[in-house]
Amino acid sequence: MSPFRLLDTALREITAHKFRSALSMLGVVLGVGSLIATMALTRGIERGVRAFMQQIGGLEFVNVTNKEISGQQMDFWNLSPGRTLMDARVIAASAPLISHISPEMNLGAAISVGEISDRNLVIGVWPDHAVAARHELAQGRFITAWDVERATKAVVIGDEIRTRFFPGKSATETLGKQLLINGSPFQVVGVFKRYEREQDKRMREILAARNKGAARAGSSRHRFDPFRRKNTSILIPLSTMFHEFKAGLFPMDDMESVRIDTLTLRVRNLDHFREALEQVRNALNVTHRGVDDFDLETREEWFDRMESNIAATKMSGGLIAAISLIVGGIGITNIMLASITERIREIGIRMAVGARQRDIFLQILAESVSISLLGGACGIIAGIALVEVLIRVAPTENLPVIEATSILLSVAFAVLIGAASGIYPALKASRLEPISALRYE
Amino acid sequence: MDAAVLEDITKVYRVGDQEIHALAGVSLTIPEGDFVAITGPSGSGKSTLMHLLGCLDTPTAGRMEICGKDLSSANSDTLARARNREIGFVFQAFNLLPKLDVVGNVELPLLYSNVSTRERRERAIAAAQSVGLGERLKNRPAQLSGGQCQRVAIARALVNNPRILFGDEPTGNLDSQTGRMVLDLFRSLNEGGRTIVLVTHDPKVAATARRIIEIHDGRISREYSP
Repeated sequence: MSPFRLLDTALREITAHKFRSALSMLGVVLGVGSLIATMALTRGIERGVRAFMQQIGGLEFVNVTNKEISGQQMDFWNLSPGRTLMDARVIAASAPLISHISPEMNLGAAISVGEISDRNLVIGVWPDHAVAARHELAQGRFITAWDVERATKAVVIGDEIRTRFFPGKSATETLGKQLLINGSPFQVVGVFKRYEREQDKRMREILAARNKGAARAGSSRHRFDPFRRKNTSILIPLSTMFHEFKAGLFPMDDMESVRIDTLTLRVRNLDHFREALEQVRNALNVTHRGVDDFDLETREEWFDRMESNIAATKMSGGLIAAISLIVGGIGITNIMLASITERIREIGIRMAVGARQRDIFLQILAESVSISLLGGACGIIAGIALVEVLIRVAPTENLPVIEATSILLSVAFAVLIGAASGIYPALKASRLEPISALRYE
Repeated sequence: MDAAVLEDITKVYRVGDQEIHALAGVSLTIPEGDFVAITGPSGSGKSTLMHLLGCLDTPTAGRMEICGKDLSSANSDTLARARNREIGFVFQAFNLLPKLDVVGNVELPLLYSNVSTRERRERAIAAAQSVGLGERLKNRPAQLSGGQCQRVAIARALVNNPRILFGDEPTGNLDSQTGRMVLDLFRSLNEGGRTIVLVTHDPKVAATARRIIEIHDGRISREYSP
């Protein structure tokens, strides 16, 4: 029989027993639906994690962190000055495999512009901070080497700071405006663009479209948001930070020996990652006078862990969907077996007029594949609907993503399940003896 | 060429430990264009003989040639092909598919031979018209009388233009008048040159044939012309 004829016969049989067919499809509908939904959810999580990883920087970034001094070195811990600006200067001078160096000094300060005042973190930075923190400017410029050298009173602010302290002003209008940090005037020289995840962006657009933007705009503040820190940044030159706010606290301190809060490095070339770390370690051994009180924290392990978490999530989701698909397949097998028992005489008649075993086999198989495919189609619709409902009812951090590949994969699975569950009934039907099948009552 | 040649055919069925000799040495030649009736009491082996002649089964021993092909130990595909090309069946219980209309039932054998959709339709409609069902092409078996059903079955048996037409008690489910009509149809088909084999226990039906073969206990006991 031609494939078209097979399909036609199969569809006729399916439509002749609508309720029974629907019942046998149900398992596949649920299986494919959950497959689509879990794939969309895990893909959403994956995207979210990757966006997060990208925002905090890639593998080429290294953090110099403090470490507990081990027992043997306890006696001379005070020999080491800890992480200071000197570290950054020495690394810059003696570690050519390091391309960017970003020391930071933090200050919790009172910020005010006119009537509006609030507390916020202020960070003193070097120009390399723009690369280390992956900042992008919307307007103006970043802190330059000149700013650091002259300890200018320039400040670069995040988008949320702009909207909070300069309400109603655009980024361009904010440039040149004055902002007081602990009462000391700074001039805004740059404004960053708004950092947000795809989902927040979409949410904002939806809300804006509904004209309720103002009511919900701040809602993301209550949830964990990896980009919030960047949106609320207030950055000034590191030298200005020291001279304005840190000098004089300890009369003996000079700028080079005061402790810094963060030291981020960027390796020039990932191919020479180990060597670069070695150069840094050598430099720091000198500045820390041999005291092992620092650690080089790479993101490799962290990223590996995230990747394996993604893989595990995918795996468990896939497993659940696979189980429900198999259960659906068993349902089809069951109903096909009942259906061929009911049609033994029909099979006998078909054989008597010349159907070969293979024709009967293909007919039953086409039927189970058709049932499974129809179920799969309904399942795809159900899955998409489920994802839409999930987005509306329980918005998660990571927006589920339905991709063409997951739909194709589901169709492939449906065909596979249909074929697998049809094989046994089809074999059983094709092996009937024509004479006894004809006589079957 | 002879339509069917059987030489010393035996057929043994195994039911549990018991062996049942349904046919015990049957030799028979049916020339092309013959009209044969096979009769005998139930259990005599006449149905088994018809199943062999109809390529639904193979003999346990002996030589069987149908339409010039030796099918003594043919596999199921070869038998299916022979049934499809050379043989048409008309059963006592009509054996129509209730879900298909008249055309659908008549065209069934053509589904299993390489015939295009258009040609299949045309041939099925022509066959249905030739048995006088041109007006009922879209009806399903449940909407037809017994006689009409049997005519659909005959049209189905003829649609592939087979050499041999088998009737297995073709009038058994029909009243005598409709039965006579069906037998008349068989006789006119035979006059047109087709080989016909009827299996029946009804002497009146058997009398339609040119040659009557009586079976007893798996052997041919008598052969005569009415």
